[in-house]
Amino acid sequence: MNRPIRHVVAVLMGLFTILFIQLNRIQVIDADELQTNDANTRTIQRDFNKQRGRILTADEVVVASSTPTPGEFFDYQRTYPQAELYAHITGYWSSIFGAEGVELTFKDHLIGASPSQELRGLTNPLDGRDPIGDIYLTIDHDLQKTAREALGNRRGAVVALDPVSGAIRAMWSYPSFDPNRMAANDGALANEAWTELVNADGKPLLSKAYQEIYAPGSTFKVITAAAALEANVATLDVPEFAAVDSYVAPLTSHSIRNFGGSTCGGNLVQLLVVSCNAGFAELGAEFVGPDRMVATAENFGFNNTPELDLPAPVASRFPDDYGSQVQSASDESPAGVFEDTPLLAQAAIGQYEVAATPLQMALVAAAVANGGPVPQPHVVAEVRDVESGRTTDSFGGRKWRDAMSTDRAIDLTKAMIEVVETGTAKSAAVPGVLVGAKTGTAQVGTDPPRSHAWMIAFAGQPEQAPELAIAVFVEGVEGSADQTGGGTAGPIVRSILEQFFS
Amino acid sequence: MRARTVELGLLVLASFITCVGYGFVLFSQQIEAAAPDRAAIQAEVGGLLVVVVGLLLAAHVVVRFLAPLADGMLLPVAALLNGMGYIMISRLDQGLAKSQSAWTFIGLVAFAAVLALLRDPRKLERYRYSLAVLGVGLLLLPLIPGLGAQINGARIWLRVGPFSIQPGEFAKIVLAAFLAGFLVEKRELLTLTGRKVGPIHIPDIRHFGPLLLALGVALMVMVLQRDLGSSLLFFTLFLVLIYIATNRFAYVLIGLVGFMGGAYVAWRQFSHVQRRVDIWLNPMDDPKGDSFQIVEAAFALADGGLTGTGLGQGTPKKIPYAATDMIFAAFGEEMGLLGATAILVMFLFFVGAGFRVATNARSPFEKLLAAGLTSLLGFQAFIIIGGIIRVLPLTGVTLPFVSYGGSSLISNYVILAILVRISHNSLEQVAEELEENSRTGGQLSVSSRTRSRWKAVSA
Repeated sequence: MNRPIRHVVAVLMGLFTILFIQLNRIQVIDADELQTNDANTRTIQRDFNKQRGRILTADEVVVASSTPTPGEFFDYQRTYPQAELYAHITGYWSSIFGAEGVELTFKDHLIGASPSQELRGLTNPLDGRDPIGDIYLTIDHDLQKTAREALGNRRGAVVALDPVSGAIRAMWSYPSFDPNRMAANDGALANEAWTELVNADGKPLLSKAYQEIYAPGSTFKVITAAAALEANVATLDVPEFAAVDSYVAPLTSHSIRNFGGSTCGGNLVQLLVVSCNAGFAELGAEFVGPDRMVATAENFGFNNTPELDLPAPVASRFPDDYGSQVQSASDESPAGVFEDTPLLAQAAIGQYEVAATPLQMALVAAAVANGGPVPQPHVVAEVRDVESGRTTDSFGGRKWRDAMSTDRAIDLTKAMIEVVETGTAKSAAVPGVLVGAKTGTAQVGTDPPRSHAWMIAFAGQPEQAPELAIAVFVEGVEGSADQTGGGTAGPIVRSILEQFFS
Repeated sequence: MRARTVELGLLVLASFITCVGYGFVLFSQQIEAAAPDRAAIQAEVGGLLVVVVGLLLAAHVVVRFLAPLADGMLLPVAALLNGMGYIMISRLDQGLAKSQSAWTFIGLVAFAAVLALLRDPRKLERYRYSLAVLGVGLLLLPLIPGLGAQINGARIWLRVGPFSIQPGEFAKIVLAAFLAGFLVEKRELLTLTGRKVGPIHIPDIRHFGPLLLALGVALMVMVLQRDLGSSLLFFTLFLVLIYIATNRFAYVLIGLVGFMGGAYVAWRQFSHVQRRVDIWLNPMDDPKGDSFQIVEAAFALADGGLTGTGLGQGTPKKIPYAATDMIFAAFGEEMGLLGATAILVMFLFFVGAGFRVATNARSPFEKLLAAGLTSLLGFQAFIIIGGIIRVLPLTGVTLPFVSYGGSSLISNYVILAILVRISHNSLEQVAEELEENSRTGGQLSVSSRTRSRWKAVSA
């Protein structure tokens, strides 16, 4: 019986060899793939037992820090002293739900594992500590608080940024949430918070400032005006549109009416000052035409995901297909007529399927004020080594894209200042500050009637460079039919400006 | 007494490795909490060393008196596997570690008791049918209402006071003894009777009756109890023993075909079998649900990489059942591919030593019993490790000597005792035969290899 016994031994050896080969596959060959798998929470858990840097505002208010919890399962509990005020910027650091916000995008810097920090660690090998960093935001704490107070308990968002550097000075979205609850090491508490917030009205977990898109309404006319100026189909003075109360695009009988049934016309400045739907619809549809409208919208950032230093920003949307040309250019329609020219007329005044994030609309104001370039928006200014206080990484001052030429941008700047001085955005005027703005009131849904209220603006000291670009968005909710850009969003812009220039 | 000297040396080595590993665990746990207290660690490791050396020395002395000629590898390898398991269990759960140390003590007592009481395993051969009844009875016990308990989906437990016992662990040994006895009896019939169809030998069904019945009942009970791992193990045991007894591959072939048929039917009929197969083939379909165990094990192994995170430095607590069925993944994480391979190699050492006992055994029954018990341990290790790393579907069995669990550990020590006993007895018989031959001047029935081995160990 010894011969078969040896066969069994051989079989078992073969089987153990298979185990050895498969172990090599899992532990060596496929290891990287497994470690980066989405379902793998081990990396986060490892990070959880490490000391983590703080997150502070530009004026050094601590908005996230780690509290040691000796004797508990995790060594630290992440806390957010400002609760919901910075929820959409810091995000949270949860052992269960992973990370969000700056906690996610700067997770390496917070634990001292970014390339520049590790290099520093290498040059100082005797120091056993991790070279962890504190994250300094671009946010101004007082301005952030002002944004929250000004918006109050209306759903919406406020974005205020430096039009030159792209540094975001305030970014608030309501409703918000308390990141302390999401980040609770106590799994039961965190799960309870998650269930509540996921099902809550108004999607508090998402930032309306950069993760949701809404019809921008008449604020989009700034882009239509820019497209017309860039295409040389209009200057601030000519052409002059006849005063009408509505506009009917070619190939349709549907008329685009002016707000409140008013009659308006005139040159580009006059159209912008009163936010003339008929004039802008005609200008965009028949003078600028689809190709140049799409190109300008995309130059401002539409249809592109902004390179924001926060997770999951969404791209704003401008429809880019208006069919083939059906009539060639004429005096009536210098851009020619396309199958979907009627839709382009709607899009030119920020309706149809146009949708934008408040962040994108703030960048529109910034690009105009900045003389054309769209800055790269960012919330993190720099990373400082906790131990030495030295800056290891700094960010900002980078261009995202070019929206328009400087000459045309200056023209548009003048027109937008005129809107504040004599037009629909008077409510945003602040004494002693040069303010340019554009209002927007986007009707969405008729039953119940509701409308989004928008305002985009830029401001600076007279004779100086512009210092702030703003977008304010107040969501149209049930019973909000009477809210308008000037009446609802304007005072919020003014509050921000008053705080900033005080 | 060279075998005993080797054993003693290896036992000291095993104690040393266990205690150093335990020291690493303590040290890393204290680093995590605050500053490590070296004196306290030294005291605790020293205490453990005294206990481990004491226990293993006692076991060694027991072997020296009761089975002085036995193989010197078996006990140290088992002790080291047990010790490594203890390190990992104490790292995962101090409470379980306390129980495991109690189970280890009881296991060693059982080891000594079996060595003392079972002086001649060949006597078991006579009671083979009683053993069959006993084995099936043990398997059926958990199905009795009030007595049995279902834990983690398998109804294989007995609740006795504060303890949960798995009678199936002991049934395996009893059934292996029955199979060995039965096959010795029917060996010639199975080999010689029946018809030959081409190269395939078709056995006579009459001689198969009791065997198929016992096997059928055992498999049925295990499937009904949802203990797929044990039924797979038991089936493998049956194939191995019938192959060794008859030296006919046809039986294995028939068995494998039958197994595949049975597996297919089970797959069609039982949703829990289907789910296991789905988890095996597509674990990433539902990484947070059904395949959570296996996916977490894979993540743990990936974290371990080549050299591991270091004892106490990983996060093996994330793996479900890390201290019991999934303990191999915890080793892979903290000791890496190298540590995991070391465990594979130790099992190969043990299996090698066990099958050497079988080849050296003097009676067919002891040969089959030793081979059967060794197969139980070897294939059980393969089934659980292979299940964890997706060589086959995951079925819950323990990793012998390593996993937490009283029934498993005690039954493994009983297996160890029987192997040690057979190992000693076969050499003792060689000695008697040599003596007999030299007295009568008759022809030696002992091979020259055995003789030289005898000289080596008795020198």
